[in-house]
Amino acid sequence: MPLAVVDAQTLVDAVALGAVYALMAVGIGLVFGVLRLVNFAYGQLVMAGAYTLAFTSHLHPAVSIVACFAVVIALSTAIDLAVFRPLRGQSPAVMLVTTFALAFLLQAVARIVDVRDGTIGEPVRVVGQLNRAVGIGGVNVRQVTILAIVLGIVVLGLLALLLGRTTIGLHMRAAAGDFRTARLLGVRSNRVIGFAVFLSALLAALVAIVLTVRKPLVTPAYGLQETIVVLVGVVVGGLDRLWTATLGGFAIGFATGVINGVLPTDKTIFLPTAVFALVILVLLLRPGGLFVPRDAATVERV
Amino acid sequence: MNDRPLLELRSVEIAYGRVAAVRGLSLEVQRGELVGLIGPNGAGKSTTLHAIMGAVPISAGEIIVDGVGVAGRAPEAIARSGVALVPEGRRVFASFSVEENLRLGLAARRNGKDEHALEEAYELFPVLRESRRRPAGVLSGGQQQQLAIARGLVAGPRLLLLDEPSLGLAPAVVDSVFETLARIREHGVTVLLVEQRAQRTVALADRSYVLVNGELRATLAPADAGDTDRLVAAYLA
Amino acid sequence: MSRFRPLVELGGPALLVVGAGLMATVVSRSTQIYVLQAIVAVAMVVAIYVFVGNSGVLSFGQISFVAAGAFAAGVMTVPLVLKGAILRDLFPILRDHELGNVASLVLAAGVGGVLAALVGLPLMRLSGLAAGIATFAVLEITNNLLREWTAIGPGATTLSLVPQTTGPGQATVGVLLVIAVAYAYQRSRFGRRLRATREDPAAAQAVGISIHRQRLGAFVLSGALCGFAGGLYVHMLGSISTGQVYLELTFLTLAMLVVGGMTSLWGAVVGALSVSALDSFLAEAERGALPNGSRLVVVGALMALILVLRPSGITGGKELRL
Repeated sequence: MPLAVVDAQTLVDAVALGAVYALMAVGIGLVFGVLRLVNFAYGQLVMAGAYTLAFTSHLHPAVSIVACFAVVIALSTAIDLAVFRPLRGQSPAVMLVTTFALAFLLQAVARIVDVRDGTIGEPVRVVGQLNRAVGIGGVNVRQVTILAIVLGIVVLGLLALLLGRTTIGLHMRAAAGDFRTARLLGVRSNRVIGFAVFLSALLAALVAIVLTVRKPLVTPAYGLQETIVVLVGVVVGGLDRLWTATLGGFAIGFATGVINGVLPTDKTIFLPTAVFALVILVLLLRPGGLFVPRDAATVERV
Repeated sequence: MNDRPLLELRSVEIAYGRVAAVRGLSLEVQRGELVGLIGPNGAGKSTTLHAIMGAVPISAGEIIVDGVGVAGRAPEAIARSGVALVPEGRRVFASFSVEENLRLGLAARRNGKDEHALEEAYELFPVLRESRRRPAGVLSGGQQQQLAIARGLVAGPRLLLLDEPSLGLAPAVVDSVFETLARIREHGVTVLLVEQRAQRTVALADRSYVLVNGELRATLAPADAGDTDRLVAAYLA
Repeated sequence: MSRFRPLVELGGPALLVVGAGLMATVVSRSTQIYVLQAIVAVAMVVAIYVFVGNSGVLSFGQISFVAAGAFAAGVMTVPLVLKGAILRDLFPILRDHELGNVASLVLAAGVGGVLAALVGLPLMRLSGLAAGIATFAVLEITNNLLREWTAIGPGATTLSLVPQTTGPGQATVGVLLVIAVAYAYQRSRFGRRLRATREDPAAAQAVGISIHRQRLGAFVLSGALCGFAGGLYVHMLGSISTGQVYLELTFLTLAMLVVGGMTSLWGAVVGALSVSALDSFLAEAERGALPNGSRLVVVGALMALILVLRPSGITGGKELRL
């Protein structure tokens, strides 16, 4: 196979996909930090947001977007209260199975809601105009691509400020580092966890908005494939630190974008096998993650 | 004003599974006192402190802080009610700056932004001011212990619980830790001190309880510090 | 009393299965499918239990071995005259040979066991979250290979024309075999050692038990039983596609194990039968009044509820006692 040239177009698209996946990685990583829980059902928050956008497509876009945030935050809070809190302190494996069940439950609920009109899948038209392209230096870039990249930078910047400069951010970092000691110092667990869940919901809603521009047809399985890929990214990057998890999410998004842009479809059919084999390899050789500094003390994985 | 004890334990029982760690422990700490809790390794001293903080459940008895029973409350609620623990092994956040560690102590305050408390802590421990921007992990063991104590004080506690503050420190540093404890007492903070260095603790404290195998064996006064026979007898009784 | 304990612990699950098998012979054709499905589900859940229950290590990957067994047994029993036409891309050794029913079940078990050994050798060093993610990766890899690699199977199309040999008789006998093997294993010294590592890994290592070796043993046995269950499954269905042995089946079988109680054979059997019963009842109701998708809602909610409120499952994770 001749080395195909990676053109600017492909690169920009890959960066945008990386930005979206990085946002999802932050959403998963924030909750993992304070709860030690890998939220397999994260994609279903995105799915709920996407359906909200679809069902409110006839309303003013601003209303539609506010509704999307409201639904995702409400759902996420309900999950925290009904599932995450009672599970606190359980083994990571039990929590993973539970969110696995939750993912199926929410998908099934979505299917029931979706097929009321006799068809599966609902189109989102809210922000479709963002698919229009603008020329930048001879490269045609869709507006949503720019939006994704800008959003990624702004959100990560704000998050760094929040975690580094505010009291709640300090408490979240302390809880992620050593929850027991943090509580003994007076850090309120419900507040810190509630805030992490809230932030991850905000991110899921943002992802829903960007993703529905790229993939306008919403189905019950919406967001599932992305979640699996991002989970791979954060585990390979290193789940114990937020920035390595985020970098892992970005990297897998970027890599996916480049590979899909460069290789013809018939050459990528075994890509999942290669990617998941890589995951196993990383788990075996660098259980802390690929981007975690080698000399850093590895946190014990139960 | 009122003479009820600031901390009172009544017949407290703590068990890990079927193994009893503390049996029928009763003790009290009055306002302004520095009370010692000494005993050999595994006697249940740290367990008692963690039970007061709500981090370990008790199976019987009562723990009363300023007239209010606290058993069953969450650690953060107890911390926010004015009880601060300086944990064994210091437990500072190594990658956080010294100042961030101190700010974590403010978490127990209702108004979480008391800059004044930070100033006071820096005055008590000038070395912390010098290294306020550095990660806590690069401090020496003694400095980390100062940081952990300062973090406890920043919370403005009514009652300060110290868990083996001299553990693992060089003898000269141990001296400075005990000097710090004396200074803290002068500030009027009520202290319950868990230590393995029995003689020094008995000499410093208003009163020292000896805990052996989860049971209270003796109560010693400062005058007993020089009486090695009494100490040995209390440990081996 | 204790002399009768094995009799009860093995007899209870066996009686349930035989009861279900007898029921399958008297009900209508449309109901029989549900009962057979429930019996085969018992085989899968017990096979998963052999590893997950005894070791306490979660695996999302066992359905990989069910899939491998199902496609191995399926591909090798499609009549030769038809196979050349519908599965043209197969490796010649697969394309030009045909196996009988029993031989295909043995092959399915063998394929499951060998795959589990290959995968388990490195993976059994992991535990907890890392093991969960790694076994999930195994499931993804298996699914990807089965769906895309037409030299070993039908690829993305449905494999059909597989002889439907799993009726009430074969299903019941097959499941009894799986239960007997699972029980014999957990009573053996290997099973007891593995359970010791589950209860207290440090103590188990201190008395010289190799956690890696014990887990690997159970993983391979579980893989073989999963493969065998996959063989029973494909011979019951007559046709199969990769989507049928992927995420949803993983979810359903894990739900059965969790609902019944992860740490006992009795729990695995009770969970498989009760969730299957509920599942079929709801599937039937979906054809009537209930909206499509209700069964996954109920099963998912039940699984989450049990995990939150009673993580030891409805049997409490204990074997049957009289």
